[in-house]
Amino acid sequence: MKRSRLIAATAVAASLALVATGCAATGGDEGSSDEPVTITFWGSYGNGGNSAQQDVLNDTLIPAFEAEHPNITVQYVDVPYDDLLQKLTTSAAGDELPDLVRADLGWVPKFADLGVLVPLSQAMPDFQELADATFPGVLSTNLWKGDYYGLPLDTNTRVLITSQAALDAAGLDAPPATFADLEKAAGTLEGTGISLFADGGLGAWNISPWIWSGGGAITDDDMTTASGYLDGAKTVATVQMLVDLYQAGQISTGITGNAGATSTAEGLPGNNYATIFDGPWMNGIWADQFPDFQPIYAPIPAGDGGSVSVVGGEDIVLTASSKHQEAAMEFIRFTQTEQFQMALVPTGQLTVIKDFGDEQVATVPYLKVFTDQLATAKARLAIPQGSEVDTILNEELVPAFEGTVTVKEALGNAAKRIDELLAEQ
Amino acid sequence: MRRSRWAALPAAARIILLSVGAIIMIIPFLYMVSTSFKTATYVFTTPPEFIPDPATTANYEQAFSTGDFGRYFLNSLIVATISTAISLLVSSMMAYAFARFTFRGKEAIFRVLLLGLMIPAIMLIIPQFILAKNLHLLDSLGGLILFYVAGSLSLNTFLLRGFFESIPAELDQAMQVDGAGAWRRYWRLALPLAKPGLATATIFTFLACWDEFTLALTLTNSPENQTLPIAIRLFAGSGNNAVQWGLVFAASVIAVVPVIIVFLVFQRYFVQGLTSGAIKG
Amino acid sequence: MTITTLGESLGTDAAGQVPVASVPPARQRRRSATRAGIVPYLFIAPGLALFALTVLYPTFQAFQLSFFDWKLVASASKFIGLDNYVRAFQDDHFWLSLSNSGIYMVLTVVPQIVIGLAIALLLARKSPTQPLFRVLFYLPVVTSWVVVSLLFRFLFSDDGLINFTLGDFLHLTDGSTPWLADRWTALLAICALGVWKGIGWSMMIFLAALQGVPTALLEAAEMDGANRWQRFRAVTVPAIWPALLFVTVMLVIGGFNVFVSVYLMTGGGPAGRTDVLLTYMYSQAFENLDFGYGSAIAVLLTIIVFVLSVVQLRVFRDRNGEGAL
Repeated sequence: MKRSRLIAATAVAASLALVATGCAATGGDEGSSDEPVTITFWGSYGNGGNSAQQDVLNDTLIPAFEAEHPNITVQYVDVPYDDLLQKLTTSAAGDELPDLVRADLGWVPKFADLGVLVPLSQAMPDFQELADATFPGVLSTNLWKGDYYGLPLDTNTRVLITSQAALDAAGLDAPPATFADLEKAAGTLEGTGISLFADGGLGAWNISPWIWSGGGAITDDDMTTASGYLDGAKTVATVQMLVDLYQAGQISTGITGNAGATSTAEGLPGNNYATIFDGPWMNGIWADQFPDFQPIYAPIPAGDGGSVSVVGGEDIVLTASSKHQEAAMEFIRFTQTEQFQMALVPTGQLTVIKDFGDEQVATVPYLKVFTDQLATAKARLAIPQGSEVDTILNEELVPAFEGTVTVKEALGNAAKRIDELLAEQ
Repeated sequence: MRRSRWAALPAAARIILLSVGAIIMIIPFLYMVSTSFKTATYVFTTPPEFIPDPATTANYEQAFSTGDFGRYFLNSLIVATISTAISLLVSSMMAYAFARFTFRGKEAIFRVLLLGLMIPAIMLIIPQFILAKNLHLLDSLGGLILFYVAGSLSLNTFLLRGFFESIPAELDQAMQVDGAGAWRRYWRLALPLAKPGLATATIFTFLACWDEFTLALTLTNSPENQTLPIAIRLFAGSGNNAVQWGLVFAASVIAVVPVIIVFLVFQRYFVQGLTSGAIKG
Repeated sequence: MTITTLGESLGTDAAGQVPVASVPPARQRRRSATRAGIVPYLFIAPGLALFALTVLYPTFQAFQLSFFDWKLVASASKFIGLDNYVRAFQDDHFWLSLSNSGIYMVLTVVPQIVIGLAIALLLARKSPTQPLFRVLFYLPVVTSWVVVSLLFRFLFSDDGLINFTLGDFLHLTDGSTPWLADRWTALLAICALGVWKGIGWSMMIFLAALQGVPTALLEAAEMDGANRWQRFRAVTVPAIWPALLFVTVMLVIGGFNVFVSVYLMTGGGPAGRTDVLLTYMYSQAFENLDFGYGSAIAVLLTIIVFVLSVVQLRVFRDRNGEGAL
């Protein structure tokens, strides 16, 4: 490449990049004046054909906020969940991000690392007060290199879900409470055509509850190494248990990436599967599509590590390019109020505020199991390469489930590859 | 056409062969239509039901009543129609120049144009997004139209150049002797004679614009400016959640109707072309 | 008065020309020697300007990004020369994706041409049922990729119609093949979609091309005692040769650019084994936000397709002197 070309190329890339950051410094304070402002807010509340959450937001919450703040208009844009990240990336490159994003908690470090988010712990004088009210597990997903780049918006976790029909078939009086109960149920189910368990993959979201409940870990507490943890004896034993169940035909092939396996959402009511791990949003989906189905919620079966699930949910983040940062922060404060939090509870969004836990269970009794599970639930690795971790876990573990490599080898390889990612920090 | 070499194959055998093939081709389509009339609970049944029982129009009602479905539909119609019209005009002009004139750089330009068929569209998403922003065309139907026209130029020019080239040059020359200018020869002679080609290009272009998802999702934000593929994707939800197949397929069946209408309308010219060609043969 | 057909447009006219990139200027001049100064440039100006602005310029930018470790922000992006390309050549998953794209291309191009041509031959003769069949075979072409991809995932699911048909209906299998669980069967399902969706397109072009086959020659050959296959080889194939070239070139390009069907049917799974170049590029660019590497993959794909197209043009020319080039 000729030198002049090289310079031109550098200039173009730099200009592309500059566009992305140029406005970071100009995000101004216009919310304090009485000038009418419009703030945009992107998210995936639409949730497929089930519009319950989106309706609450558009019909109740946003009008309530606008009534309190007559100079602020909030425009919510629903984006298909699977495409939101692509749209955010492209918009970030073009400096066209909205003011606020309801971001999956795995994306916060990713975008914080790219410098397109406002560190709320610096920008909001009352940040500490707001943060202290939330559950620490979900709050921790907003921390990146010493600053908090968002606040928890809603949270969720996975619990064991089963049905009376499945319990009858498995010869159980109550949902399996331990790993041992599960293995016993597997024996009873043999030959019934019902699989013991089903899941949709082997990413951190899927496999973490097993590993943690079995007493294992993915990395050390400081997130510096996976070797010695992900391939530790307890993790290996837990995954080995799953592999044995899988090879005995007791776990659906959906877990190894078979896109044609009956989905967990249909397979549990359809009595293809006896148990699944899933979140609180399923209640509404089943009520719509399988009105006769009565899900039974129970804690994740306990192993040596107790019953430990994984924290999910969304954080609300403010973009550096927002021209109405004060108004946007006002909306962020609104999302932490009882009014906002409790309005979404009936749609399966768990509150992130500790003090509302009891009220939540009183309003929606089925959320009790989820609320209790959250007390011990842990967050996944909060690093920008979260999606690469999922890819690694899937790529290495699928061969172990298929029996072409040993569990120990598979986890050892995965640990090495995750070490490399951690070393980039 | 006077005589086909397939004449010896008994007509009945040919019809049977074609029918079997046609059934295989339309079974997935029929299944989609049938599923769109089922309730969620009855989507997965073994053996599969082709006649929904109980049948319901609830999915269609929900599709039409959800959010801005009507608006999405109208937007798709506007974008696809205008893009197709502009693309046909612009690419037929280019194709005419490539077919009828000799000029410096002709083949080089044509090859560069063909490169447009080979570049993966996703690679261009970010630069195109930034371009749309600089042109102030984000979140507007005009922006979609601009990129849809541009995206269809290569194929249409490629296709139409061939049609224009096979129009006998003598006709062109005769008109030229009569004093007709280039534009008149293009507009009054080449376009009418290339109707089958224009019809083919219309069918392909309308379909491509109607179907486009990624650019539409990236360039537009507000429901007032979004198109039908986005609505269908919103119905399909995320991989983690239950797909409401009945609803998705109901929306899809609605989405297919305009494309089939365009095909039925324009294939008329296609048939005409075939028949005329046959007479020549 | 002679009205052209699509078939002829694809090259059955006297000069044997086809609408392909490289028609030699000499031959061009022979048939349309209209020298018109600035006029042709006026005709191409609007389209070319639009194309340069909205396709070429973004292409140039994306090409440049492939030489950067591009992180959206200036401070983090740096020029790394050919590193992204070196990385691709050392990346097993790149080669896996490339081979999947290649397999898809081979498995879909040939059936689309053979079946498309066979149906076109069956439909070439005018009959009252011809328009009906034409619409039925064309129906998959006009249906959205998003819709048919979701539909085929549904059909090839464990409890789907394919398993029901093979197992409970035809008793060819036990009816429980997990099609999308294995690299090869999943690719087969994706290819089935590609072929099913594309047959109508190639059929349409062949059907049009067949209308231009000189009937007099066919009759003469028949009188000389040539059998059906010999007539097909000696008369029909040369007449539709340019159409074959057009269809092949377009299908090879399309085959390597397969994306939506894979993305929606398997998402590249299980464990990335059905990734094709574009799904891999997509996950690098938009999930891992490594747009430099994603661009490098896309550039390599474009080069491969370009080279293949040039090779095809040459092969077709060698097989048929009067043909393509």
